[in-house]
Amino acid sequence: MSRAVTHVPTPADAVATHLIHAGYARCEPAILQPASIFFDSGEDLRGQLYLTSDLSGAEYCLRPEYTIPVSRHYLASGEAGRIAAYSYCGPVFRYAAGQRCEFTQAGVESFGRRDLEAADAEILTLALDAAAIAHNLDLSVRIGDAGLFSGLLTALDLAPEWRRRIARGHSQGKPVAAILNASRNGAGRDHSGVLGMLEGADKQGARAFVEDLLSIAGIATVGGRTAGEIADRFMEQAALRSGVGVSAEKVRIIERFLRIEGEPDAASAQLRQLASEAGLDLTAPLDALDTRIGFIAALGFDVAALRFEASFTRDLDYYTGFVFEAHDRARPDQKPIVAGGRYDQLLQTLGADRAAPAVGASIWVDRLGEPADAEGQGA
Amino acid sequence: MSDTLVLAVPSKGRLQENAAAFFARAGLEFVQGRGARDYRGQLVGLKDVEIAFLSASDIVAQLASGHVHMGVTGEDLVRETLADADAKVALLTPLGFGGANVVVAAPRAWIDVRTMADLEDVAASFRARRGERMRVATKYINLTRRFFAKMHISDYRIVESSGATEGAPAAGQAELIVDITTTGATLAANALKILDDGVILRSQANLVASLSADWSEATRESARAILSRIAAEEEARTTREVSTALANPAPALIAEAETQFSARLRHRMADGRLTLNCPLDKVAPLADWLIAQGADHVSVAALDYVFSAANPLYEKLVARLAGRR
Repeated sequence: MSRAVTHVPTPADAVATHLIHAGYARCEPAILQPASIFFDSGEDLRGQLYLTSDLSGAEYCLRPEYTIPVSRHYLASGEAGRIAAYSYCGPVFRYAAGQRCEFTQAGVESFGRRDLEAADAEILTLALDAAAIAHNLDLSVRIGDAGLFSGLLTALDLAPEWRRRIARGHSQGKPVAAILNASRNGAGRDHSGVLGMLEGADKQGARAFVEDLLSIAGIATVGGRTAGEIADRFMEQAALRSGVGVSAEKVRIIERFLRIEGEPDAASAQLRQLASEAGLDLTAPLDALDTRIGFIAALGFDVAALRFEASFTRDLDYYTGFVFEAHDRARPDQKPIVAGGRYDQLLQTLGADRAAPAVGASIWVDRLGEPADAEGQGA
Repeated sequence: MSDTLVLAVPSKGRLQENAAAFFARAGLEFVQGRGARDYRGQLVGLKDVEIAFLSASDIVAQLASGHVHMGVTGEDLVRETLADADAKVALLTPLGFGGANVVVAAPRAWIDVRTMADLEDVAASFRARRGERMRVATKYINLTRRFFAKMHISDYRIVESSGATEGAPAAGQAELIVDITTTGATLAANALKILDDGVILRSQANLVASLSADWSEATRESARAILSRIAAEEEARTTREVSTALANPAPALIAEAETQFSARLRHRMADGRLTLNCPLDKVAPLADWLIAQGADHVSVAALDYVFSAANPLYEKLVARLAGRR
């Protein structure tokens, strides 16, 4: 299709203008980005990249998203941790078989603000307002808190391995019981003799024993894991055989937590009740939740229209706190129109010398106002 | 448009020898034009067929683009190269050679890792401890991504490897590998082990048809001729002709032979002589059973070809072509 000569303002223009007027300076990173900066986002995203290389052999891709390039722009232009607010609006490119692979994404990123809950509330309401300006869709909004779930696992005083396993399994959509059983049925059965001997042995001695076994076999560091790491996990298998893991009581608490959902204030009350009945100190993350809800209300938003789900955390590897997404109420099974959250670890993984507050949101402009039978949603 | 059917076969190596032998058994002999360096050839006695000698990976690309009608190539390459393989090509039949498995292999020293679930756990703690993803050396990038995604493994990074992949962990280039193996001996020699549920694909050479090639009346007729010979050879190779004489071969008895031994009736004479066709592994039990039914002798013969009116390979091709849109 050829472009019209006179420029008719598009929904994307309206969204971009609204975000700039809200104080978020427009930041438009190059469409062509060094491919390697996205490789740490995992093979799933890597498989969706449009790659190319130049004569020097350097590998580039069409940008598949904005957050990493905008974060890099922020880090390159000054000290990490200073306050900055950016908006963007433009094409992103991701391969999906049989679907449109170029789509327009608008969004905001807020860096460095210490008033975390106020920043969370501002990002949510701004993104929803921007989407509403472009199109008058009836959106259903759900919110969650990755930090609250992490906080629960910490308060339950689980071993770090178990915290990670449960968090990961939850991100994959597995029920807690299934996560625990999978680990129990896993490795070790072929070494049951050795494992049996290690059961109940003191930890130091057992570890030394397994390390000795490996060194007798001529194994020091193989394939990037040390003999000590292998011994640790091998012994964990022994511990699992004798039933040491997560107690049934803790599993029940986690399961009860994950079932809590509904209108935010009511959900918060249920969470506090669970914490007090289970004797867990969740004061800090629960106060943060209430403060955030208060700020959202103060910005003139009907809090009762939001749905809080304790199990809604998005990707726990990436999101560290507040998360949200908004769907067209008429098409709830489609991908979200607006989505975002807090990702306080990202700047450090991108090379900042310390973690720094960061929260943002994306608006899929193409998904606003597409006919109901349209194909080609990405992300 | 064109009346010539293009059949692509591997241009070198063991795959070529095996493919040539396979077609020769089916009575389809290659003639390579003007010497061994010519990359085009003919099939003796089938004038509207052109043979294209190509590399195994080119064969996949040419099948996908529709430049060749049929070809011989490994299923591993088909599944690796084509994201939606079943929409672009039809795997008509496995050919019984070029067998190899695409597998996930980890260092044998990882005594705590037996399954993909273990690997998922190790990959996550590897990343948590080091801030880097575990590296997987492979040339099967797409097969690896699809399989790892199915197994919920996300904390890894692929390192592309075009040769001697099994050496990558020892060389410090990767923690584990995804590679093709026939006997596992190379993996064992490099102190690697295949995970219990780490077989991604059991591959072998296949006769593959393109769904997007120009399938005119003439090319379909050539395909039918080729596939009927392949089917006839396959039927002959996998069955035996069993002849005997019974005083009174009742229809019920013949039906019984079919249900018990998958034997199909070929001829039946008025004097009680009877010819059946039976799968190789059922020949002896069938013979025993016939003698128990009153036969004095049962003779068994291997045949060169068994041509039939029904041609399952061609029917499969026609069905896939009809459903291609």
